Amino acid sequence: MNVNKLFGALIAVCCTLVFTQAQEKTITGNVVDQAGIPLPGVNIVIQGTTTGTQTDFDGNYSIIASEGQTLLFTYIGQKTESRLVDTSSIINVQMQQDAEALDEVIVVGFGTQIKRKVTDNIAKIESEQIGGIATPSFQGALIGKAPGVQITQTNGKLDGGLNIVIRGLSSVTASQQPLFVIDGIEMNNNDISSTTAPTNPLLALNPNDIASIDILKDASAAAIFGAKGTNGVVLITTKRGAQGKSTVSLDMSTSYGQPSNKRDWLNSADYITLLEEAEANSGFLASIGLTVDGLLQGFAGDQDFRDVNTDWQDFAFQDSYIQDVNISVSGGNEKTQSFISGAYTNNEGIVRGNALQRYTVRANIDHKVNDWLSLGLNSSYASTIIDRIANDNAFVTPMQAIAQIPTSPAFLSDGEINTNTLYANFLLQDKFSFRETKRRRLLGKVFAEIKLHEKLRWQTELGYDYLNQTVDRNTGRLAPFQSTNGQTFAADNGAEIISTNNYITFDTTLGEASNFSFVLGNNYTRFKNRTTSVTGDGFPTDDFRSIASAALISAGDGTFTNWAQLSYFARATYDYRGKYLFKASIRRDGSSRFGSENRYGYFPAASAGWIISEESFLSGSSTLSYLKLRGSWGINGNTPIANFGSLGLFGGASYNGESALEFTQGENPDLKWEETEQINFGIDFGFLNNRISGEIDYYKKNTEDLLFNTRVPFEASLPSHVVLQNVGSLENEGFEFSLNTTNIQNPYMTWKTNFNIAINKNKITNLPNGEDLITVRNILREGEPINSFFLIEYAGVDPANGDALYVLNTENPDGTLNKNATNDPTEAERIVAGNPNPDVIAGFSSNFNFKGIDFSFTFQGQWGGQRYNEAGKFQESGLGNGLDNQDQVIFDRRWQNPGDITDVPQARLFVNNGHSESTRYLQDADFIRLRNVALGYSLPQNVLDRLGMSRVRVYVSGLNLLTFTDYRGYDPESSDDSAISNTNSGTTFYSAPQARVYTLGLNLAF
Amino acid sequence: MKYMRNIIVLLVFAGFVSCENELDLEPQQSISIGLATDTPENINAILLAAYDIGRNTSPDNVLPLYNGNYSGEISVAVDLLGNTDQVSWNGTFSNLRDLFNKAMINDNLSALNIYADSYSIIGHVNTVLANLDKFEDASEGNRVEGEAKFLRGLVYFDMVRLYGQQYNAAGNNTQLGVPIVLLPPDVSRAVPRDTVEDVYDQVISDLTDAAALLPESNGDRADRYAALAVLARVYLQQGNFAGARDAANEVLQSSGHALTTTYAEAFDTDGNSNETIFSWVVTVQEGSNNYNVYYATQALGGRGGDIAITQAYLDKFDSPSDERRNFTYLGEGVSEGFILTSKFRRQFANVSHIRIGEMHLIRAECNFRLGTSIGLAPLAEINALRGRSSAPALGALTLDLILNERELELAFEGFTLHDYKRTERAIGGLPFNDNALVFPIPQSARDRNPLLEQNPGYN
Repeated sequence: MNVNKLFGALIAVCCTLVFTQAQEKTITGNVVDQAGIPLPGVNIVIQGTTTGTQTDFDGNYSIIASEGQTLLFTYIGQKTESRLVDTSSIINVQMQQDAEALDEVIVVGFGTQIKRKVTDNIAKIESEQIGGIATPSFQGALIGKAPGVQITQTNGKLDGGLNIVIRGLSSVTASQQPLFVIDGIEMNNNDISSTTAPTNPLLALNPNDIASIDILKDASAAAIFGAKGTNGVVLITTKRGAQGKSTVSLDMSTSYGQPSNKRDWLNSADYITLLEEAEANSGFLASIGLTVDGLLQGFAGDQDFRDVNTDWQDFAFQDSYIQDVNISVSGGNEKTQSFISGAYTNNEGIVRGNALQRYTVRANIDHKVNDWLSLGLNSSYASTIIDRIANDNAFVTPMQAIAQIPTSPAFLSDGEINTNTLYANFLLQDKFSFRETKRRRLLGKVFAEIKLHEKLRWQTELGYDYLNQTVDRNTGRLAPFQSTNGQTFAADNGAEIISTNNYITFDTTLGEASNFSFVLGNNYTRFKNRTTSVTGDGFPTDDFRSIASAALISAGDGTFTNWAQLSYFARATYDYRGKYLFKASIRRDGSSRFGSENRYGYFPAASAGWIISEESFLSGSSTLSYLKLRGSWGINGNTPIANFGSLGLFGGASYNGESALEFTQGENPDLKWEETEQINFGIDFGFLNNRISGEIDYYKKNTEDLLFNTRVPFEASLPSHVVLQNVGSLENEGFEFSLNTTNIQNPYMTWKTNFNIAINKNKITNLPNGEDLITVRNILREGEPINSFFLIEYAGVDPANGDALYVLNTENPDGTLNKNATNDPTEAERIVAGNPNPDVIAGFSSNFNFKGIDFSFTFQGQWGGQRYNEAGKFQESGLGNGLDNQDQVIFDRRWQNPGDITDVPQARLFVNNGHSESTRYLQDADFIRLRNVALGYSLPQNVLDRLGMSRVRVYVSGLNLLTFTDYRGYDPESSDDSAISNTNSGTTFYSAPQARVYTLGLNLAF
Repeated sequence: MKYMRNIIVLLVFAGFVSCENELDLEPQQSISIGLATDTPENINAILLAAYDIGRNTSPDNVLPLYNGNYSGEISVAVDLLGNTDQVSWNGTFSNLRDLFNKAMINDNLSALNIYADSYSIIGHVNTVLANLDKFEDASEGNRVEGEAKFLRGLVYFDMVRLYGQQYNAAGNNTQLGVPIVLLPPDVSRAVPRDTVEDVYDQVISDLTDAAALLPESNGDRADRYAALAVLARVYLQQGNFAGARDAANEVLQSSGHALTTTYAEAFDTDGNSNETIFSWVVTVQEGSNNYNVYYATQALGGRGGDIAITQAYLDKFDSPSDERRNFTYLGEGVSEGFILTSKFRRQFANVSHIRIGEMHLIRAECNFRLGTSIGLAPLAEINALRGRSSAPALGALTLDLILNERELELAFEGFTLHDYKRTERAIGGLPFNDNALVFPIPQSARDRNPLLEQNPGYN
């Protein structure tokens, strides 16, 4: 800004002042709403000043202003009106209802709809709600924001998988995850992790590129995606350029993170006390001629174990630092608009050795060729480099360091890593090995829209999604468990999706009252995947790490696979005077994954709505300003995961060096999708001109034809004696409630809150032959929630002798359960003891704006679910199950003398006194968490004008700052990443907690 | 420009009408059943898979998993159930412990695995037999048919002995055996158990056909003499001593196989010794030798002496110089102090299924019982076998001496249970026909096929 401009501005201000002094007068008037009813409490301010007033109960006001000034009339739920003060001294105003929230555009799949006219259940999340949250995955930013959508990160590793469960689990063996569609193109959400620990395939998306996310929750909404809609559909829309002045945005932040929780483990003194006591109680060491001192000295290297007090937990964790930079440019002219962005994030995790770097670029371009043809291109490229660490169940994963003995030093006196630890010292793995995963993802789409007629548009899209992953893993000769002179594993995995959409949209109006809209189209999607890997052993020195230097190529693999889907769909919407709303759709899906006898499935849906508040008897009410009833029904499918699950197959084998053909899969030409029928009833309401608004929904989902490998007679001679069949069913039933309130809205201050809560009840209703299916400690049983915990019941401690007790739970002759206790865990029967999934999830968000200051937060909460700590049998065994360091509780609450009332049994070295797998290690995982909080300050407009900027905001924010829970483990959300499967859930095993992150950030735009 | 628009519309319409046959995709690591049974080469490869499954334990966890019936699992089960004080059980597998204690329950894992794998082998074999019309070369077709029937006869013979009561030479064998399945895999198949008589008939029919179809020499795969040798075993079990004698005699006379010079040479050889009539091939890359797993030390690749020899067994020998008595070694580490048999020291040795020593014992016993001397006089035959192992010659024979000789010669090779049953001798105080000496029909098999009747003594 130059001196001349500044000078000019000053003169203008002075002139205004002089002018104002001269022409001041009193203005009076009356303010009414759309229906002519006086509005009390309307804010009136003179634009550019802080002078203001409010209307009284009868809608009258009075204010002193000058000619040439502008009065602003603001009222919640009404459009802001402005009036220029002229010679008149009376200004009456009729406000118009501001239907902005209701006129929001909802993406519905192959089209959009105005929220007011939507008859399905769709949750929309805008970019403002997900920006500035320091998590590498966009999914993590959605937590707590949409009712009935449960989002859980596996654990605190940066690359950890993310589960999104919409309205309860609807499948046992097929996918439990929603379909992800970005700008109309199906995204590959297959986990391509090179280990059993799941990773997040959608890490490649830059959250800053997302304009909005629409989550299709009910069957009617998702039915347009047919055979893949059962688990809901997440529609991601990326940002586009707009006509007008170009905007350049720069967002920068730097963050510091630490574990959101640490646990208390025994220090050396307590550990030695406990060990001596446990030995006194069992005499184990004495029986083999050892002493406590001798044993502990064996793990202390060249130091005296009495002088050592190692906090191994501190070695497992590290300080996390995150840098984020995001630049975007958007703008355009009448013919061409573009959005271009580039972003970089460098993320060091809270667990030692875990890091992630990501570079993304995106260009979205729209071009209007002429009055009937417009074209566009979306393209994005992301490169993600992840330093991964071992699975939770590996001795060399950092988190397992907490099992080490505190009298065992991490390092010897000379600074070398202590190799004589109880379990392999992970620091050796940290130093002498690496596992680097690189992902390169190209997402692109070209599209055209042809206006065939004023009412008829043709859209054609060609999308491409290429995801390549390379893994380079090297284990040096000094790393634990490395028997050869180093090993290198190199793998390559390339997956591509090519997808085309062609559809016509026809909009018309019949007479004045009837509005029709039709969509008719098709989709073809083809997926191809190619993997190769090779393992080499034996390297001259640890400096050689590539396969070329290996002495022996010890393993190799290579696979190809693919699937294809061909679909046709049609949708019709109709409304009469915007009051009576109807929608119907049908989709026909053919998939290569379906059997030849069931190659095509039909997925119909219908819904209707009635906006009662548009009726004459309600239209005058400002108390009940909006009321809509909705009802929907639809059928969705869930495609089998196996690409060739329906075919009878023979695979390669060998006998005596000659190739053999082995029967590997039984045939089921009837194989088809799992089918979910869902009904939904909803009420949308708004009170006080929509100052209070919300939605209430009830749904019931019945899923049938669940896929199971059903057991067939051995005499049938089928491979593995099973065949993949559609048998079994389950149901989910629930309520969702969301409430939005605008607590304060005036020109200086706004305060809005959102509260949402969802209750879901899940029940298995039919299993193959009605039999229980047990996976380790989860059970599928008719009448119980999916994957219920199945464990023997811990009954505490016998005060007389310190024995651990279990409830027998054997069946009495009359069918009741014998609730007497036993100290022999093998006598106790297992019972359904809990549910890994919560019954209730909730979110609470609030935004304050006061002048330039903004403050927002989101709480999330879950109730009714449990977590099983599989490591409990080591961490809380009273040294009965190994010398693992113990939870502080074991020391503090242990039974010591007859008469002690406690739940921690007597410590007995290498004797099972309470460490059998039981409900002792099952805990409620209820929690409330302050998921994110942000405080920002934006420079006011006049300063921005002077600086030539359109936005300058500095902020501080926090992620996972507070957690309220009685759960004693690291994190009620974390789970074991080594054993995760559809049927083995809710278990934690040395699983890292989520990070607590503090961020300092800057947003600039001009 | 409007023309242009029409052209574009036409082009897009063309794209709209995609080909539905795009959905007929074929996998690339597997082939369909139709393709797999289309050529003689493929049928031969399916036959090889039947051999493969017989001795496979799927170490790489590639589905489907197999247990390795003929890698030693059946023989170990037979010897644990048949032995009492001659061996000790030191392992941790509860299914094998229950076998040794004659206390099986209806979901015994050995009973389950052997049953399940047997029908997997039969499924492959039946697929081969149903597709013999693919062979244009008759001799090739005969060989494949012969091998398939050999394997099927072998499998049903093992099943009927394990899951049914002993065959009664006097006839009236209506006790239940196992379901006879002769057709390729079929998901809807549910069949009841056939009688022991019917199963034996099928076994003899298959093995007789195999002997007629197979060449006299067939590499490492089954030949005419392998079929005859197994047939001799079947007849012996039935009490058809003439049939057993004649089959064994033909093997001894014509097969070219003969006793190795020393006892030790008959075992643990690289490839097969000349004494071996048929074996399952095991290499470092392929298959598994589960005799080694249960009988050998950890240093040799075993579990550390799950099964060890006791003094009671050593006391059966009449001479301390008998090489068979001394064919042992002492365990170390976790098997410290155990006396272990030297028969299974090599981790990747072929698994011998039938050898010449047994043929001599069958011919001698049958000649003795029938008072004949076909091939060789019984006393001379037994003394020749003993002579190989430096055991002193016997002056005269009794049936008990011959049966004892079988225990000295064939110990741990999977004979005890069947020999005691056919000679109606008690096992550890249990009469030979005690219910506890017959496998249960696995609970899982009955869950899958309600037509299967359980054996007496099990629920």
